[in-house]
Amino acid sequence: MDAPDDIIHQPVRLRVMAALNALPEDDDGIEFSRLKSLTGATDGNLGAHLDHLARAGYVEATKAFVARRPRTTVKATAAGRAAFARHVAFLKSIITGGS
Amino acid sequence: MSISPNEAQAMLADIDDVVADVKQSRIYRISSGVLVLWGAVVVCGDLLALVAGRWTGVSWIAVDLIGVAATFWMLMRGPKNLAFPWRYVEAVALFAAFGFVWSLAIGGMRPRDLEAFWPTLFMFGYALAGLWFGRLFTIIGCGLTALVVAGYFWAGPYFNLYLALVNGGGLMLCGYAMRRA
Repeated sequence: MDAPDDIIHQPVRLRVMAALNALPEDDDGIEFSRLKSLTGATDGNLGAHLDHLARAGYVEATKAFVARRPRTTVKATAAGRAAFARHVAFLKSIITGGS
Repeated sequence: MSISPNEAQAMLADIDDVVADVKQSRIYRISSGVLVLWGAVVVCGDLLALVAGRWTGVSWIAVDLIGVAATFWMLMRGPKNLAFPWRYVEAVALFAAFGFVWSLAIGGMRPRDLEAFWPTLFMFGYALAGLWFGRLFTIIGCGLTALVVAGYFWAGPYFNLYLALVNGGGLMLCGYAMRRA
């Protein structure tokens, strides 16, 4: 790979994908509020970035009501995991001088 | 778009930080349920000790067994992709064996000493666990140990009530706090 993934490259989206990718594939995902604290983003900002990732097919969000409160859970798709792995490989290749 | 090696290094370091945070929070999430459960067990055990008289030892064994069974049930229902934490179970068993050797065979402790010994023994375990699994465990272990020792010296005849509130209630509160960490 000789170019970064433009969608993942943005810092907030990179952190989102890193967090989601850290979970096993069959995990239920990470709650929106937890992602907010992991990325340091505001509600609106994180929502926009998640939309961006979802449009690319990298993440999927599930909305549910728990104790009458809306809860959004986000998880990485297989395509998202593959894209993240490629992006990390690209970053590593820059350090090792392979790109 | 061009990325310098320094920028790439910084991004990879950022990724490592996030991954460490996620793994840490998974450990806290699983542990928080166990903490709340044992907080409830301790509250029940200490309140029963107030009324059980000479059956205090038996009542403690009964509530502890219920606690152990509930812990196994809780851990087996844990995240489906997580192996059953046998090492955790072995560590707790070792601490319990150590405690029994001292409290039954060697120590010659009075009931009040035993009431202080058992919680501080397991809090020591939490403090040690914090060295590997996150400093919250160490803070909880050291903080509750200090409170139990304070009660041992100053709670007078209300020591069991104090333990139910401070040790049991403290564990439950710490469990809830850990879930949000």
